[in-house]
Amino acid sequence: MVSFDVIAEAGEARRGQLQINDRTLETPHLFPVVNFYGGGNEPALFGGGIHRTVKEFIVNHPPTTGDEDYSDLFHGVMTSISSLTDYGIREKKLEEYLGNEIREWDKFSDYDGMIFADSGGYKILKQDGELEGEDFKKDIDQDKALDMQLDLGPDIVVNLDHPIHPDDEFEERLEKMEKTAANAGRLAERRDEVDGACYVTVHGYYEAMLERSFDAIEDELGQPIDEVFDGIGLGSLVPRKDNVEVLIEAVSDCRREMQQRGYNDLPLHVFGISGNAMPLLVAVGADSFDSASYLHQAVNGKYCVNLFETVPVEEADLHACDCRICNDGLHRDRMRNRLDDLYQKDILGSVAAHNLAIQQRELRQFRQLIAEADEDQIATYLEEAVKDQKGFRKFAYKLINERIKPYFDDDGETSYA
Amino acid sequence: MMEKQAMHKTPQVNEVNEFIEIASDFEDPLEVIREALSNSYDAEATWVDIEIKQDEEGRNTLIIEDNGHGMDEQDLASFFDLGNSNKHDAIGYKGHGTKIYYKSDKIRVETVQDGTQIVSVMDQPWETLNDRELPTYSVDTEETDETSGTRIEVHGFRAGQGFDPEQLTYNKIEHYIKWKTIGGSTAWHFDDDFHEFDIEVTLSPHIDDTRENIETSNKLEFPEENLDPDGEFVAERMCKHFPPRELTVTLDDGRELTIEVVGMVGGKEARNDLPTYGKHSAQFGIWLAKDHIKVERYNDAIGADNEFFHFFFIANCQDLELSANREKIRNKSGDVYQAITDELERFMTKVCQDTWYNDYIARRKLEDKKRSVQTQETSLQERLTKTKEQGGLSPSNPAEVIAALERYSANGSPETVEIADFRLDEEVNAIVNTNEGYQNAALQVKLSDFFEDETPLTHIDQFICWKLGDLDALTKIERASYLGEPIRFDFSNNTVTYGEGDAKTIPVLELADKV
Repeated sequence: MVSFDVIAEAGEARRGQLQINDRTLETPHLFPVVNFYGGGNEPALFGGGIHRTVKEFIVNHPPTTGDEDYSDLFHGVMTSISSLTDYGIREKKLEEYLGNEIREWDKFSDYDGMIFADSGGYKILKQDGELEGEDFKKDIDQDKALDMQLDLGPDIVVNLDHPIHPDDEFEERLEKMEKTAANAGRLAERRDEVDGACYVTVHGYYEAMLERSFDAIEDELGQPIDEVFDGIGLGSLVPRKDNVEVLIEAVSDCRREMQQRGYNDLPLHVFGISGNAMPLLVAVGADSFDSASYLHQAVNGKYCVNLFETVPVEEADLHACDCRICNDGLHRDRMRNRLDDLYQKDILGSVAAHNLAIQQRELRQFRQLIAEADEDQIATYLEEAVKDQKGFRKFAYKLINERIKPYFDDDGETSYA
Repeated sequence: MMEKQAMHKTPQVNEVNEFIEIASDFEDPLEVIREALSNSYDAEATWVDIEIKQDEEGRNTLIIEDNGHGMDEQDLASFFDLGNSNKHDAIGYKGHGTKIYYKSDKIRVETVQDGTQIVSVMDQPWETLNDRELPTYSVDTEETDETSGTRIEVHGFRAGQGFDPEQLTYNKIEHYIKWKTIGGSTAWHFDDDFHEFDIEVTLSPHIDDTRENIETSNKLEFPEENLDPDGEFVAERMCKHFPPRELTVTLDDGRELTIEVVGMVGGKEARNDLPTYGKHSAQFGIWLAKDHIKVERYNDAIGADNEFFHFFFIANCQDLELSANREKIRNKSGDVYQAITDELERFMTKVCQDTWYNDYIARRKLEDKKRSVQTQETSLQERLTKTKEQGGLSPSNPAEVIAALERYSANGSPETVEIADFRLDEEVNAIVNTNEGYQNAALQVKLSDFFEDETPLTHIDQFICWKLGDLDALTKIERASYLGEPIRFDFSNNTVTYGEGDAKTIPVLELADKV
């Protein structure tokens, strides 16, 4: 059973509840990217250094997490089949690992968050359609991708896509869109095998491009998308992640396209984007995100002060942070490297959890504001968030001016400050 | 054992030097107008008349008269004293301004307050100061029926060349009043009890007789709004007012600052409705003001994406600290200035997102394109006329030579020469498909141009040109050598022979007489 209910709206921003079987997720939501296989065996939670520490948070492993249970930071996670080979894996080991669904492994049996299994199209495309392990190369097509996704025991799956690139020639882009659509068609044929939600990916940076992407999928399916799929995933934005204007346009145009085609009731997931653009994208109608930035920042020793700023963890003012991790003595001691026998993964694991908590705190606040359905408050929140971000704030102001409330009316009257 | 003695000394001030220093600190003689207007405003006058005269010897007389509340003896003392202003919440609280009058031969003050008239004269203030003495002033007091007010006469005011007819005009003064004095106040946007007063400035005909004297008020009024004018080229006339806003900023120490901002955006024609003087880029932009008198611009408040001269915004903040002559902001390194400019940047970023503003910029761009279409039309006409005169194609660049070559081939040329690849920037720029297969070719408008560049001939199988060009230049090369080797141009057979012993002969395809 899959349902998505919009429970409050403020302008184009919406708050919703995604229900998949007996699991529920509040949206807007950020799916942290988790690497479930990083080498090693089950007792080591299938390893992976800092990835292992993250998994210890997921399964609430007290020697790492302390007295508090932080697994709710990972209430819905994203993982990709292509990440299974990130740390080198032999074919036999892969088969053995995929022999059990994630939650069938004893260590993960208590994990009750949603698992969004991505097909890893971006990486697979870069590897010429192959998944490469230590002693094998597998051609990955839609069927094989879905088989592997299903092996993980996911709540959400998505078709194998062929992400577009800003430098693609028109013909190249068309070909990719058609291949993505063909994969969506194949996933639709196997829809019954998925005991959860099926998302379909669309690609494009602006309306005309997105229109083409939607058309290709609808043509392939021969029926409306919402007859088969439970959500839309907007992909290919990672190469443009630093251009907020493009991101806003893409998400906003995707939502408009969904509205015009009658898919407004489907949730919209934005692949690979988080951080400072997130509030602006929520304001134009994004429902969920996924990103590994919390982890990448931590790996580089970066501690998030807010959505915009990071500082080296040794310079961070942990007492100035109101997140749960920073209010926990154990994690403060870890981040300060004040305990004996700490590994880098222990120190940075706590930093990763903090970084994630910061991003989720922002989304939580946003959910509350949407619930109050007060656009002015959303404008104030956005303004406050970008207050000191020269260069970035014009995008927020533009969005507020155009979509929430104009700063100056043409009749010369003051409207909003 | 020596006894220890304690001593206290008071630092001394050289008063004469201080007076000279302060009076000299004013660089622009027009600053007397700013001081006069500020003093009359502080005295709550409802009008002030300023007269500037110059006699034939170039001596200046300045007369300032207002109907303010006049001065008593203490006020008069402050007028002449240094740093002893009794005005606390006023523009001239520093007691420096009137000292500009010391640069003169005589100052005469006639003032009436509450039925008492004081006449005071200071003779030769500047000469006395330069003799290292402090000048003195007389004070004569008597009862009077006259209404309150003040008349100040400054004779022999040393304005340098500032008041000379070549320098001073009504236009310049009017601009100065609106840009640099209380006469250009934006306080009326914010203050219900705005103290309005009339300003009249008269120059002697000797200085400027080109127009009537200046009659204005102390309000800065923007040109009329013109949001969406009809017509083809109208962007320069467009204008929008941005309503007054009070921005508040709280500093780390809890202090609250208020910034009063008001402004307009407009095209050049609209901006010219204001008393502009000289380049717009020196006058428009974002002005920081104190006492609603503009001081310095902070055009960084407009991001690099926008051109500041479309904007005329005035941001007044009483927490700005100014230099003695009010020309500069003093506390720029402090947190107050930082907070003001930060907030102003935020505000201006919002202005730049305004829909009308973006339409205005788009309209300007569109009109520029339309203008360039008009230019294109003229240029195309000229080209067509020239082409007709020439009787058709007359190549002046390689692309036209290619067109000529194609035409030659299409019209049944005896040989096949088709362009297979062409790269403009390469020395051997073409690969051509011929009866003998693919060949490397150097394609030029004139053959002589090719040799000017001293390009090696090693990989060239064929020359293609519109015409041979300067035959004399080629002959000159032939008589010397080309890149150390002998070369021969056979103009009758159109070949180039190059090298000693095993010489290489390269055919030249000249298109001019073939097409």
